[in-house]
Amino acid sequence: MIYLLLIPGLFMGWSLGTNDAANAFGTAVATRVVKYRTAILIIAVFCILGAILGGAGNIDKVAELAESNRVTASLSETLAAIEDGSAEALRLRSALKGAIIFLCAGLTVFVMSYLKFPVSANQSITGAIIGWGLYHANYSDPEVLAVNLPQIGKFAATWVLNPLGAGIISFVLVWLFNRFLYARISSLGAYDKLVRAGYIIAGIFASYSIGINSSANVTALYYDTHFAETGVVSNLLGDARLTATLGGIAIAIGVLTFSKRVMMTVGSSIAEISQTDGFLVILAMSLTIVIMGKWMGIPVSTSQAVVGAVIGAGLTRGVRQVHFGVFRRIAIAWISSPTVAGLATYAIAALTAGYFA
Amino acid sequence: MFTRNRNDRPDIRIAEQLKDVDACLVRFDSFLRAASVSDTSFEALRVLSDSVCEAESTADSSLRRLIDSLGGDLLPATRQDLIEIATSCDRIANKCETYATQSVVQHFRMPEPFCEDILQILSITKGQFVLLEKSIRMLFTEIGKFVKDHGILDDIRREESRVDDIEKDIYERLYATDCGLAEKMQAARFVELVCDISDAIENIADKIQIMLITRKA
Repeated sequence: MIYLLLIPGLFMGWSLGTNDAANAFGTAVATRVVKYRTAILIIAVFCILGAILGGAGNIDKVAELAESNRVTASLSETLAAIEDGSAEALRLRSALKGAIIFLCAGLTVFVMSYLKFPVSANQSITGAIIGWGLYHANYSDPEVLAVNLPQIGKFAATWVLNPLGAGIISFVLVWLFNRFLYARISSLGAYDKLVRAGYIIAGIFASYSIGINSSANVTALYYDTHFAETGVVSNLLGDARLTATLGGIAIAIGVLTFSKRVMMTVGSSIAEISQTDGFLVILAMSLTIVIMGKWMGIPVSTSQAVVGAVIGAGLTRGVRQVHFGVFRRIAIAWISSPTVAGLATYAIAALTAGYFA
Repeated sequence: MFTRNRNDRPDIRIAEQLKDVDACLVRFDSFLRAASVSDTSFEALRVLSDSVCEAESTADSSLRRLIDSLGGDLLPATRQDLIEIATSCDRIANKCETYATQSVVQHFRMPEPFCEDILQILSITKGQFVLLEKSIRMLFTEIGKFVKDHGILDDIRREESRVDDIEKDIYERLYATDCGLAEKMQAARFVELVCDISDAIENIADKIQIMLITRKA
């Protein structure tokens, strides 16, 4: 029965899939270079592959934030619970808290997807964790702040650095391609082959990156980071790879079932870009995720990266090519999704304080 | 079994269609030249008209072969663009056929003072068509450069303006003659048909330009 608590996490993964799929093939589908059905199949397969092969690497980063915000149990709490025989109760409480947080973040992303805003599912989770922590963790305690502030600072910095970095990489890639390679394309057939191959290769890379970057986020709160030290599973899952794989599968199901709305927004509404720009945008997004993820040490938002990259590509043709009105709405959604998720978990934390204190 | 016939390539097929449309234009030119000579009998004109229709029919067949050749290698947008260009080229042959058949059926002869103008219009139109063939060829051989420099399309439009000027001049002179209004309107309709060919070529040039812009780097 306790495994039913996985459902909100899987729902979160599904929501993330409905949103992040747009980032891998949005421009390809919108410009009719790749069929929607082909696109979602590629994303699903490579996202799961990314989750299996590299997703586990990101679990610790989310788990650290969760622990410092008292979502998951610390090592001392776990050891104490094992000693007094309440490990099973601790396991249930941890899983329940994870489920609440995933539910709040998942609902936020789902609503944003329904409104056709490409938002950051990763940051919704972060917002939800911090919302919980603001109630339960003592933020006036310098030790709690010392753990949380750098993490929060990093997440806030990515709001700016991530789309900015993607925009710069995209601008440079598109400019170089247009300046040095475009004139060498001989025929319509060669052009079409280049565009199709470019989209598929960039899309595979992007899907794999999403699998690595995001899969852990949608199930990490169920993962027991102290399992190796205690030998007792004090949360739902003790295996990092299995945790990430479950996340990857949930994302893939979201991609396969409900990703078209955001895909069309990302592909066609933000800036007028050409077919060749499209795959360079995806490539820029994937490179940004990899670079920023390594540099910042946290999972970054693919949605923010792709929007930045689309704008960067649009700017190679001039400022007028960018629909800043849409960008403004998306920027508001970026800030509001972690905020809304955080407020929701704060409210639930207050209502359930008696049980979780 | 698994390899594609070389002739099924869209570039080969579209070249074939253009050749057939060009042949139709050449036969239409012969028809107009014969029709401008008052001694030519309607029987002789009917034979020439049939040969224009035959050329139009051949161009139709090559259009269908071209559409069949647009397989999965090309993106849907490219296929759509090429189909639009090919069907527009087919309209050139259709206009020739309409003029030839209708003039025979209606026993129409262009009034003598305007025959030279009509032949001049067709001569300009044939020049436009040569430029159009070259532009379409460039789509398949050097699209990268063509996107950056498509002055040839401006040349096509410039020639169409010349045709427009001649057309306007014909109408002014035609409606100033002593002929009856019905005859004037009949002649004007045939003038319009010839000028429509030039318009059709200009429209294709516009389509090509749009095609280039959507693929612009």
